[in-house]
Amino acid sequence: MDEPGGNFDFLSKYDDRVAHLARQAETYVHSDPDSALFKLRLMVETMARTLVDMQAPHLIDSDLSVMLRSLQRSGLLGSREADDMHAIRRDGNAAVHGHDSTTPTAIRRLRDAWRVSRWYARTVRRGAKVDPPPFQAPDPPHGDIGGGEAHARAEALEEAVEARRSQTRKALLLFGDEDDVKAMRWRLRGELRALEAVAVAAGEPIVDADFVALVMAMDLEQILEHPAWGRSSKEAKTDVEQQFETFKSAHAAAELQYLSQRAAIAAETRRDQ
Amino acid sequence: MSDLDLATTWFLAARTMACGGEEPSIAEEAAAGLFARAILGLDEETCIAAKGKGHMQSLTLIDCMAMVGQLPRGTADQVMTGVMMIAYAVASMQPLQVRWASMLASSMNMTEERFQRCCVNARVVASMLPHEQEAIGG
Repeated sequence: MDEPGGNFDFLSKYDDRVAHLARQAETYVHSDPDSALFKLRLMVETMARTLVDMQAPHLIDSDLSVMLRSLQRSGLLGSREADDMHAIRRDGNAAVHGHDSTTPTAIRRLRDAWRVSRWYARTVRRGAKVDPPPFQAPDPPHGDIGGGEAHARAEALEEAVEARRSQTRKALLLFGDEDDVKAMRWRLRGELRALEAVAVAAGEPIVDADFVALVMAMDLEQILEHPAWGRSSKEAKTDVEQQFETFKSAHAAAELQYLSQRAAIAAETRRDQ
Repeated sequence: MSDLDLATTWFLAARTMACGGEEPSIAEEAAAGLFARAILGLDEETCIAAKGKGHMQSLTLIDCMAMVGQLPRGTADQVMTGVMMIAYAVASMQPLQVRWASMLASSMNMTEERFQRCCVNARVVASMLPHEQEAIGG
C-alpha cells in the first residue's frame, strides 16, 4: 500500500487520476476533513465526466448534479451509487463553501467513495473482476483514538442525519426499496389491459390525446401567454412555486441546522487538539 | 378522507400511470414523491405508510377508481394534474396511460374543460421539476 489506509489501491489500474484523488482524501480524513471532502467531490466529478463522456458527451461541461441526473436517467447509474455520489457532492460542496466538517463525516463519505469506486471500476472496464479487500477506516495518526466525546457526538449526529435523509428518500420515491417493481408493473399493466377491454366494449370515451400531445409540444412561454390557458396556468405556476418553496425551505432549514451542529463539533474538536 | 387514504390513492394512481408507459424512470419516480409532499401536502410518515407492504398491495385499480371518485373536486383536480405531470415529466404518453387518465377522469366526473386545465397545469409543474429535485439534494 503506497498511502495510509490503501483502500483505493485497486483503482489505479482502472483510472489512475481517480485513484490518486481518493488516496489523497484518505490521507486527509483525520488531519483535514474539509480537504478530504473536497478531494472526494473532485473524484466523483472526475468519475461522472468519464461516464458522461461514454453516454452523453454534450453534457460534459454541465454541473455535477446535472451529469449525475443524466447518468441516472440513462440507467447507467443505479440508485445506490447515485445516493452515494450525491452525498459526496453535497458534503464536498459544503466544505468548499466554508462549512466546517468533521472526521466522522469524511470517513463516511470515504466509505461511500470506496463503494462507488468498485462499481465504477466494473463499469469503465466491463467484465473486469473487481474484488478489493473490505473497506477499513484509516487509523488516526500517532495512536490518537479520535477526539473523545466530540468525536462520539459527531458520529451520533451523522447517524441521525443519515436516518433523516433515508426517511426523506423513502417518502419521495414512487416505489419502496423492497418492492418488486417488475412484478408490480406486470400486475398493474395486466389490470389496465383488462379494464381497457371493458372500456372499449362499453364504448367509454378516452381523453383527448391530441390535446395532451399539443400541450406536450408547447413551450412553457407559449402556455403562459396562451389566450385561453395563459391566466389560469400563470396562477397555477405561482401557487406551485409557493408550495415548492415552503417544502424546500423546511428541507433547507434541516440541512442548515445539521451543518451548523457539525461546525460546532468541528470547532470543539480543534480546541481539544 | 384521511391523509393516509389520500396518499394511498395518489401513489396507486401515480404508480399505475408510470407503469402504463415504458419502464418507470428516475424522473417519474422522484416527481411522484415531490408532488405528494409539496403539492398534496402529505408528510413523510404518511407517504411511507401508504407505500408499506401489505397496505397498497391488496388494492386493485377498481379500488383506486372508487377512491378517486370520493375525492373533493379540488383534490381530484390536483391528483389528475399529478398523474398527467408524470407523463409530461418524460414527455411521452403510451396508449395504456391515455386509457388510465381517461378512467380516472370518468371516475372523477371530470368535464373536458377541467381535464384540459389539469393537463396545462401538469405541463407547467413538470417544467419545474428538475430544478426542484436538485434543491432537495438530487
